[in-house]
Amino acid sequence: MSDAAPAKTAAGGKLLVIDRVSRNFGGLAAVTDFSLQLDPGELVGLIGPNGAGKTTCFNLITGVYCPSAGEIRMAGRRIDGLPPVKINHAGIARTFQNIRLFQNLTVLDNVLVGFNRSAEHGLVRTILRTPKFSRERGAAENRGMDLLRTLRLDEKAALVAKNLPYGDQRRLEIARALATAPKILLLDEPAAGMNPQEKAELMELIRFIRDRFGVGILLIEHDMKLVMSVCERITVLDHGETIAVGTPQEVQCNPDVIEAYLGEPVA
Amino acid sequence: MSSRKSEPDILDSRGPSDTRGAPASRDGADTLRTAAPAPASSGWADTLKANAPLPLAVLGVALLMPLVDSRWFGAYNARIVMLVGINIVLAVSLQLINGFSGQFSLGHAGFMMVGAYLAAYPAREISNRMTDPASTLWFYLSLAFVSAVTAAVVLGIFLLVRQSRRLHEAVPTLLLVAMAVWVVADLSQGSRHENPPAVFVWSKGIVAVQRAFAWLMEHGGPAAVNISAALPAAARAPVTFVILILGAGTFAAATGLIVGLPALRLRGDYLAIATLGLAEIIRILIQNSQPLGGALGITGIPKYTNFAWLYGAAIITTAVVWRIAYSAKGRAIMAVREDEVAAAACGIDTTHHKVLAFVTGAFFGGVAGALFALYERSITPGYFSIAKSIEIVVMVTLGGLGSISGAILAAILLTLLPELLRPIAEYRMIIYSLLLVFMMLLRPQGLLGGRELWPRRRGPRPRAAATQDRDDLETAVVS
Repeated sequence: MSDAAPAKTAAGGKLLVIDRVSRNFGGLAAVTDFSLQLDPGELVGLIGPNGAGKTTCFNLITGVYCPSAGEIRMAGRRIDGLPPVKINHAGIARTFQNIRLFQNLTVLDNVLVGFNRSAEHGLVRTILRTPKFSRERGAAENRGMDLLRTLRLDEKAALVAKNLPYGDQRRLEIARALATAPKILLLDEPAAGMNPQEKAELMELIRFIRDRFGVGILLIEHDMKLVMSVCERITVLDHGETIAVGTPQEVQCNPDVIEAYLGEPVA
Repeated sequence: MSSRKSEPDILDSRGPSDTRGAPASRDGADTLRTAAPAPASSGWADTLKANAPLPLAVLGVALLMPLVDSRWFGAYNARIVMLVGINIVLAVSLQLINGFSGQFSLGHAGFMMVGAYLAAYPAREISNRMTDPASTLWFYLSLAFVSAVTAAVVLGIFLLVRQSRRLHEAVPTLLLVAMAVWVVADLSQGSRHENPPAVFVWSKGIVAVQRAFAWLMEHGGPAAVNISAALPAAARAPVTFVILILGAGTFAAATGLIVGLPALRLRGDYLAIATLGLAEIIRILIQNSQPLGGALGITGIPKYTNFAWLYGAAIITTAVVWRIAYSAKGRAIMAVREDEVAAAACGIDTTHHKVLAFVTGAFFGGVAGALFALYERSITPGYFSIAKSIEIVVMVTLGGLGSISGAILAAILLTLLPELLRPIAEYRMIIYSLLLVFMMLLRPQGLLGGRELWPRRRGPRPRAAATQDRDDLETAVVS
């Protein structure tokens, strides 16, 4: 498949196509034959017991790991094996399971880092500080504030990121990812450590982001209620293998899934 | 306006509010909530406001200049003021590397040395008592040309070696080891001959490079002298000086690039050790280079650096480092410092920004070296040892990592302190060291701890505008 292929190719016609990707760590098969397709505007869940290989899948998609086998395509272009920066530039952004903010930068600066690719100036203009530089910087700051406002973080824009409450840190990480103007957003356990009320807010937020920014969202989550209510499709992993794919209802009734989560039925 | 409370006391500690005390910070919070949208900014006003410290600094230097240059001030005091200036350039440039990009370098004296030698040598041998700017420029151009060709050849060999990985994973390492043995054996044997036979490819290569350089100098020289002669007499010395400073800085930056590309793959302690080692390599190479005076160094360098030049350079260094640090580029550089994985995931080219900080820092390190050489009149390799590197690191750390004004303060303090303690003779360094120990115990974050004396621009403008239509958005958007 050539690079010149149109955005939507024959391979399922989706923007992000993950085709039978595997990854071994030594003798351990962390992920085996993982396939998934995602279009902008879709909300897909990735669930499974601890150690099932969910985060490894994220790391494979975002270039932290190289797949041992299989292909990942974005708009028809192969992106497996590219470094994380290039994959971000291709339109995939992510958040991390253990929050990784730029702790000593302000909330606004955290988001502006995400804008950097579109807002950075040449070295000469940075040093000379031309009026155009100031104007563009003001514009970038306004864009950053707009984004913070949509995520209800604007009042805390001047705070240092590490001083934010936990829930705000999660949202800031999402804001930072959105600032890179992604087409696909990967959320790694965004609800971890949240109380039920925060989780309910988060569900709203995820739907809102999908509608407002038109991104495709792939969601890793342990909270079944959240996943089942928010996602349109769900993929279930266990021991690195895909054991079920389907709508929330289908997955809930799937005996393999029940077994993976609750153990074998007593005969 | 909203149900949330903003907490002024934990407003960004780097902000202007903090340096001005609590009332100002409450002010800041108020603008944040109530101010009407500010009028569209006029670019120039913004630029001028952000640059207010610059004219102030220039004015200060201009006012102090007659004082420092006067006979009354005394040669000893004047010398200390000059050393303060050189240390400011060194500390500020290292702050960009160690403080902002978080790449802990212990090799700054190495870049200073490259700058010092590559200003001292042409200043003495080429510039004809600072009257021949064109020849001086030609010296740098010839050197750059020869270096570029050499670098291209070495890079080509390196890439070929890397390609050999396709045969087997271990092949590149083996090839590199074999090459190293070959080169060392070749050079040690070949250098015994005045004109090495063709067997010694590497020695032959080095002789060829030297000849190429000599040829360039010889054939470009007469024309350059003519160009210099055409310049007005009064302009020749300052132009030569500027060329020397910029040329030395550029070559220090190139050294920074060569050192940085491999070294910046390392992190933390490993990077510190690698930079330390590479700085030593630079020192030993120069120490063993006969044209550069060997262990005796270079003497009889024309003295040209004076108070105005030096502090002018210090102002430019500070302004450039400041503007890089507090711009989108600087933000990316700091993001890499905070979390490299997250920065890459946000689309920041981590290598590019690390190298950018490193090379810029090396450039101004070289500028400091050149200023130093053209002030001291004589330089020796021993001066640019590990001790000098550590001295600069101490300044940066004491000033507070990530604070340019802190680096300046610390450079001033740590240059003055040993001099002020001179009356107590042998206890001097003990007191000095104790002060450092207590400083780090009581204020581990350094004097300013990542803040600046002069508030960096964090305009209330975007925040003020942002409060405008918040309410309807909040109701419309979430929930």
